Amino acid sequence: MRNFLTITLSLLGFFAVSQNKQILYGFDDIPQSLMLNPGSEVTHKKHYGIPFLSQIHVNGGSSGVSVYDIFKDGSDNINDRITQQIFEMKNTDFFTATQQLELINFGWRAKNEIYFSGGVYQEFDFIAYFPRDLAILAWEGNRDYLDYEFDLGEISTTGDFMTVYHFGINKQITDKLTVGARLKLYSSMFSYRSVNNAGTFVTTLGDDDSANIYEHTIRNADVSVETSGYASLRELDGASQVTSEILGRAFFGGNLGVGVDLGFTYDINEAWTLSASAQDVGAIFHSKDVESYSAKGNYTLDGINLIFPPLNQGDPTFPYYDDLEDEIEREIPIDTLNNSYTQFRPVKLNAALSYGFGRFNASGDCDCLNMGGGMQHKNNVGLQFYSIFRPKGPQMAGTFFYHRRVTDYLSAKATYTVDSYSFSNVGLGVSADIGKVNFYIAADNLIKYSNLAKAKSVSLQLGFNIIIDEE
Amino acid sequence: MNKTLSLSIFAVCASFFLISCIKDTDFDQTEDIALTPIVELDLIYFNLRADRFFDSINSNPILTVRDTTEIKFLDDTGLQESLKRAEFYFKFTNSIPRSFQVDFQFLSETNDTTYVSGTSVAEGAPATPVITEFIENVEGDDILEITKANKVVVSVTIPSSDENLEGTLNLKSKTTYFLEY
Repeated sequence: MRNFLTITLSLLGFFAVSQNKQILYGFDDIPQSLMLNPGSEVTHKKHYGIPFLSQIHVNGGSSGVSVYDIFKDGSDNINDRITQQIFEMKNTDFFTATQQLELINFGWRAKNEIYFSGGVYQEFDFIAYFPRDLAILAWEGNRDYLDYEFDLGEISTTGDFMTVYHFGINKQITDKLTVGARLKLYSSMFSYRSVNNAGTFVTTLGDDDSANIYEHTIRNADVSVETSGYASLRELDGASQVTSEILGRAFFGGNLGVGVDLGFTYDINEAWTLSASAQDVGAIFHSKDVESYSAKGNYTLDGINLIFPPLNQGDPTFPYYDDLEDEIEREIPIDTLNNSYTQFRPVKLNAALSYGFGRFNASGDCDCLNMGGGMQHKNNVGLQFYSIFRPKGPQMAGTFFYHRRVTDYLSAKATYTVDSYSFSNVGLGVSADIGKVNFYIAADNLIKYSNLAKAKSVSLQLGFNIIIDEE
Repeated sequence: MNKTLSLSIFAVCASFFLISCIKDTDFDQTEDIALTPIVELDLIYFNLRADRFFDSINSNPILTVRDTTEIKFLDDTGLQESLKRAEFYFKFTNSIPRSFQVDFQFLSETNDTTYVSGTSVAEGAPATPVITEFIENVEGDDILEITKANKVVVSVTIPSSDENLEGTLNLKSKTTYFLEY
């Protein structure tokens, strides 16, 4: 098992990776499915996640380009391939990376039949939209793009590193309906965002009346970057100091926020079940160690206008260059602000409609696994919907799934997902109970596993729990 | 289904996650990645009236006028390493009935001359301005010299002048920077 884990963990390095955990959602055999829907049907009595190992989640994606598109082994030039990809990609294409590590996760059913669960996890979440115009400008320059307005508003990126403390309740309130809620406290260790930017840059060929050959114009620029937890890091010396400072913020030392997860599961009849959840409905209030930069204005650069002033020998001429720099700073000032700001968390929505068939009764006459009342099916098929709110609008995914309980200690779920990345994403998850130890692993984009370089996204979750079933 | 069989199935499924690999790729190509932007940027411009070449108080011709400007970006370390070629384009529009010699002297921070260039400008007439274009292409070892400079002295020399001289010498200029990162 140790070797297995070592190999698995070492593989994580290959995953570059959105936050969709389509395999884990509704996979009730795994306690962590409660993290995706606090109102899922819990079949066990207690669970304890093995600290640091109860959930390891990595997810990375690039909607427009794969590693293979750029680094494929071929006789053509890599720079030609990059050029081609830059022009093929759109400004709505994006790169994302998410990583989560559960430190603690636990849950128990109280005498009043409420299932309480809580824990702590650390999360890193990054998204950057592809700034196509700026990529073209950097890659090709402006010579072949006279009169073309490069859009500065394409800059859109956010990044967060935080610890989340959570506590949830789950209760079956009628024979058919289970509901749940989870309160979350966020402690942000580091955060930045640059969104809602605007402005254009254009180089135009001047006419006879123009001061110089070209006019380089920045129009209606409004570009800002907000950071929290960054300003104090600049004064630190070396990686070890930075690391210890950031980790020190993990225990409520950073900027705090609050949010909730809400969810339900409704058994329409014996076969059909509907469930839905909303995660991270909340915000982080950045007030400590906040530093924001903002540049606004209009400016047209013509070059340097020489006056040829009549000077005596040894007199200095005008400081043209310094004057030009001052003029640019005056017209497009870069302000550094320390204003607090509120950052809404990216809300995630999940919903599923499933059809179960084949009665599951693995342990003889007694339906021991199922004290909750509802019937467990051997097979479930259905559809899932996922959406996450991102700076340029929601990113959505649709999933068709098949879930099968093979034995009382082994179940598996296969998924086919259509999302921003691809139309051919097949995923598989397995949950095994070996004694009281539950192990699960879920990964998507399996068709691309023979060559991960061709995958535009990869998502992986794995973890170990101790599950104590109902007596 | 017995436990051994189902564990075997689990093992097969689990191992499926471990057979992933990355193929048919060559990451050594990273070294070949080169950004080669070509940037067009205005340089200097001026309008010199004919009366600048005559001192009306002392009734003396002024045969050479000079001005200097810093161009601090030129000796920036980043530009020194990435500039492969620079093409300077000067466009003179002369309505003064004299020809001119215009010289560009690039100086380092310590005022050492690192690069010189110059051109003659054709004679014009107040009613019919004449255009003279001049291109200075800098590449190879000369790039090293020109990127040591952080200012340029522009000297405009007229062969003769008098108080009745009319017209304007106009310069517009730009540089095309061929960069490689």
